[in-house]
Amino acid sequence: MGKRAAICAVAQVRNQPEYPHLRFQNMLLECFESIMEQTKVTFDMEKGIRNIITCSDDVFDARTISNNGVTDVVGAHFRGEEKMAQESINGLGYAMACILSGHDDVVLFMGHCKESQSESRLMCTNLAYDPFYCRPLGMDFRSADALQAGEYTEKAGITDEQLAKIVVRARRNGKKNPYARVNDDVDEKTVMSSPMVCDPLRALHCYPVTDWAYAMLIASEERAKEFTKNPVWMAGFGSCMDEYFMGDRDLASNFPLKNAAARAYAKAGVKDPKKDIQLFELSDHAAYQLPLWAEGVGIAGDGKGGAWIDEGGPDTFNVNLSGGHLNGNPLLLGGAARAIECFLQLRGEAGERQVKGVKRALAQAAYGGAGQHQAVLIMES
Amino acid sequence: MAEYWGVTVDDIFDTMQERFRPEGAAGVDAVFGYDIAGAGKWKLTVKDGAMKLEKAKDLAGCVASMVSDSETFVGVNMGKVDATSAFTGGKIKVEGDLGAFGKTGKLFRKYAPPKKEMSVKDYLADMFGTVVSRFKADATEGVDYIYGFDLGGKDGGKWTVFIKDQKCRLVTGIDCKTSVTLEFGEAKDYVDMILGKIDANSLLAAGRGAAIGDINIALKWGLYFEKYVDPMATGEPEQELLMLKKTISVNQAFVTGPIMGKFLNALKEKKIITNRCPKCGRMHFPAREVCAECRVRAEEWVEVGPKGQVRYMEYVYYSFPDPLTGESRETPYGMIMVLLDGCKGNDIFMHLIRSDQIDRIQGGRNEKSGTRVRPVWNEHRVGSIFDIKYFEIDE
Repeated sequence: MGKRAAICAVAQVRNQPEYPHLRFQNMLLECFESIMEQTKVTFDMEKGIRNIITCSDDVFDARTISNNGVTDVVGAHFRGEEKMAQESINGLGYAMACILSGHDDVVLFMGHCKESQSESRLMCTNLAYDPFYCRPLGMDFRSADALQAGEYTEKAGITDEQLAKIVVRARRNGKKNPYARVNDDVDEKTVMSSPMVCDPLRALHCYPVTDWAYAMLIASEERAKEFTKNPVWMAGFGSCMDEYFMGDRDLASNFPLKNAAARAYAKAGVKDPKKDIQLFELSDHAAYQLPLWAEGVGIAGDGKGGAWIDEGGPDTFNVNLSGGHLNGNPLLLGGAARAIECFLQLRGEAGERQVKGVKRALAQAAYGGAGQHQAVLIMES
Repeated sequence: MAEYWGVTVDDIFDTMQERFRPEGAAGVDAVFGYDIAGAGKWKLTVKDGAMKLEKAKDLAGCVASMVSDSETFVGVNMGKVDATSAFTGGKIKVEGDLGAFGKTGKLFRKYAPPKKEMSVKDYLADMFGTVVSRFKADATEGVDYIYGFDLGGKDGGKWTVFIKDQKCRLVTGIDCKTSVTLEFGEAKDYVDMILGKIDANSLLAAGRGAAIGDINIALKWGLYFEKYVDPMATGEPEQELLMLKKTISVNQAFVTGPIMGKFLNALKEKKIITNRCPKCGRMHFPAREVCAECRVRAEEWVEVGPKGQVRYMEYVYYSFPDPLTGESRETPYGMIMVLLDGCKGNDIFMHLIRSDQIDRIQGGRNEKSGTRVRPVWNEHRVGSIFDIKYFEIDE
């Protein structure tokens, strides 16, 4: 095997509906100090951090070049700092590129999003759409997701009952995760009687508004042991951008995810994901996406997502034991949250939800409406 | 030869060869005649995808001939006269095989009159000659402005345009004080600007043009006059361009966290406080969570100022829309970097100076103090940077 890049440490604040006493700089600072404490990494220009990657969103932060707001608290002055203005998991792909190219050997990667700052997250994602044709129609990530949900639930025979089961399971799993958003307990009946917000999406089918921040330290194979005894290796990364205009896409086909997964599997030497990967973290922004993405990464049969739910597929394949995106992460940061959960499981640090014998895990992220952009990261202990 | 719409019958025939479309002549093998009263007779031979045109004494041997007067012929070719009604009205006749003559319709591209050049002098004459007719009286209620135009170069000249009592008057020369005078070294630059060939800002920036007087009045010209239409333009835009206006607006609410909150709350109490780095000792304006240079929390609070010295002031001449009101600010205004008493080095606080004092401010250099200033507090303070209205000279 050639050179590898490792995640050496992670830090996060708890996912919360709102941090009324902290601005995002304060949230990041707590993560920053935790990484410094855990790893003793320095900012020495020879041996320390020379490059920092951040992830944030201009619209959610109301600031052009949103990373300008955080350079102080991520230690970025007088060295490289670049922003991932895409789903956070791509920051890990970028950190891998920095390290595997030999340009850097230690990279700090931090991200934040305070969804509670905006009057409506839907107004923010509305701005992702074409200003002349799509925005005026009121398109946002939720209404786009609902188009996909309609197509997919019909194709895979997904019922309202199954979607309710997915929501209840996500909240049950979230209770075992000390960093998960605290949500009200719900049962299937409550989910099925929650208001229809965009047919077939009900209010409780959608992830709740969440504030969060995190940090990770990534290092080269040669340097990793300086910062941790248990590095987690990034073994394969693949991403794929589907077409922008909804009409150009086959929404229920999983085309971009299959593409991204195939590239990550080839890099990591995964032949059969059902056997070769012991844990999956999928970015289910809405309940219907759990079986859809499960099909996309190859642990549920094509168009068989409904049966897969009934057969207990999510527990068989250890999917979203963290509570998943559905329990609550900021939209932008779902991928980082998935990767951090894989990291904890691979290190045996997942507490009550720990799965025994996890050697390889998969973190998947989606961004844009209806999973337009997909990325898959394979991680190994 | 008589001209109709600036075009003669000869112009139409002389351009037939270049307008000929071989693809429209496929399968045509015929001789057509044209008998245009007052102009002459022509024979057009079409064969094997090629054509030959000759003047003729008579039209014997033609399969079909068009008979028309010159004006109708030119008008139809230029699209000024409707061919069908000219035919049904008897202004155009076809002698011989009418069906065969119909094939001539596909033989040629449409006739387009050649563009004649307009000189800078022509344009200036036309631009100022149409000023009064382009005046929008309804838009000038209460307006009393005098616009001067001082355009240099060999084709240049001077003009004055008066707007008063919702009337517009143009005078050659400039013999009075104007509200604003546009000066261009070369009249051609002015013409090109009006025709949209050069951007006004780049001309101003390059010093090739200037607005002497109130530039805001200059910018209002477009409100009072219809846009000048280039008579040489074809009337059809070269591309189908539209301007689509969009405003982005998402309401947001930011919590301050403890550091920013403490700083802003102190302003309410008419105090300026700052946090000092425990390692390097520098003070932060605005107060923020860490010393970014030392990467440590800065939690020691110090009250400074509120008086201080100006280290640097910049004059701002452009009217920036005030972010709080959306209105344009009065210009010029002065943005200052103040070294508050108790601070040193680059511990700079930024704010505005009282606008009638901008010409009296001296910046400090090294050990030499700049003008001493003090904050003017807003009576109604809410925890905002504008709890201080501005600074003024401390005298």
